[in-house]
Parts: sequence; C-alpha cells; structure tokens
Amino acid sequence: MSEEQENPQENKPIDLSKKEEPVVQPINEGPVTPPPFQQPPPFQQPPPFGQFGGGFGQQNLPNATAALVLGIIALPACCFYGIFGLIFGIIAWILGSGDMKKYQLNPGLYTESSYKNAKAGKICGMIATILSVLTILFFVLVIVGAITNPQMYDDFIRGMK
Amino acid sequence: MAHPHKSFLDWLGGHLLSCPFKTHFGIDCPGCGLQRSVLALLKGDLIDSFRFYPATLPLIFIVFFTLIHLKFDFKFGAQLIKIVFAGIAVIILINYIYKIYNHQLLS
Repeated sequence: MSEEQENPQENKPIDLSKKEEPVVQPINEGPVTPPPFQQPPPFQQPPPFGQFGGGFGQQNLPNATAALVLGIIALPACCFYGIFGLIFGIIAWILGSGDMKKYQLNPGLYTESSYKNAKAGKICGMIATILSVLTILFFVLVIVGAITNPQMYDDFIRGMK
Repeated sequence: MAHPHKSFLDWLGGHLLSCPFKTHFGIDCPGCGLQRSVLALLKGDLIDSFRFYPATLPLIFIVFFTLIHLKFDFKFGAQLIKIVFAGIAVIILINYIYKIYNHQLLS
C-alpha cells in the first residue's frame, strides 16, 4: 500500500509532460486534517441572585425539560408489558446524562435550574428503567412458566382464585 | 347538571383500556388498577381510589407539580420531584408484592 501511495509522488515530474493528471493527484493525496477544536474558555460563574434562569447569556439546557417529562411519563407507561416504560426511561436517562455532561463542560453557559432538571430527569429515568426491567423479568418468568408446563400454570391460576 | 356527568363517568367505566398482559395471561401487571383508581377519584371516592391503586394520588400530584415547576421554576422543585418519584416507585413495588402475597392478582 505504501508503494502505491509513493509512486504518484515519484512520478510527478514524469507526469508533468501530460499536463492534466498532476492537477488531479495532489488533491487526493494529503488528508485534510481539520484544526483541533478548542473548547471555548468557560464563562463566568452564574450569579448567585439568579433565581429565574440566571444572568445574561445563560440558556437552559436543550433536553432538560424533555428528560424530566419523559422520565415521569415512563412510570405509568410501564403497563404495556413494560416496554414503553423501558423506552421512555432509557431515553430520559440518556438525555439527562448528556445534558449533565454538557453542563459540566462549561457550567457558566447554562442555567443551574435546568441542570437540576436534567439531573432529576436522569434519576427518574433510571428508576423507571429499573422498575420496567423488573416488570419485564417477572413477565418473562410467567410466560416461560406458562409455556413450559401449562398444566401447572392452570393449577396455579385456579389455586389463586 | 349532575346527570350527564355521572352517565359520562359510567360510560368511561365501561370503556377502560384493558391490560394486554392481563387479557393474555390472567394476571395483573404492576400498572393494573390505575384506570379504575382514576375513575374512582373522578367520582370523588378517595378510599376506593387508594384501594384500587395506591400510587394514583402521588402520580397525579407529581404530573401537575412538574408542569407547575417547569413553568415557574421552583428552587426545590427538582429535588422534590426526585423524592416523590422514588416514593412512587417504592409504592408501586410494595403494592405489587402485597398483591402477590395476598392472592389479589386476579381481582
């Protein structure tokens, strides 16, 4: 592979006679490395008096509200085989933790209240996910039990009545 | 005015969504009872509502509190939501385990 890459460079003076190919080749050669992205320096700390969203230039985290709402919806949504609860819970978990990371990169840029919301959404999503997983495990146990020995399952149901 | 309202609730009671797990396997899921409980609450029967599903009142509380919190941004809001949410999860778990041990899963 290295020879093939070196060959066009060596053949350059020879190809100059053809006048057209060397124009194309230098474009393909060097991979254009983008300049390394530098984090902007963190802004000033949020002012302590900022009750309703902080001082100037601060904005809410983009997914904090969504994480909180999804995390709370996830709890009653575990009815349908626990699947919706699992989906909502995991989405809330991911959104909340992503926003927490975003806040910790530059804490001055975002409001602290939205950070708290994102944290609450993450924790609610975690709890809902755990509950849904427990539900699904229980359901799988029941279904496997019902499939493997249906006679015992029927007796079990009858015994509960 | 009371009559159409009551009949609407009765109509709602006959048209509850049925739990897919319960219809297939005959066993309550951890969310079963929520709709009956909300219906009892709409009729104003707090005790029946609690009996059907103990987590209904905290659930309704947390939903409305979250909406208010997102609007007005309380200082303690996120913390309170976390605590109440964990409490609701514990209530649901305890309720379901209680149902298993007391053979109420087929109710």
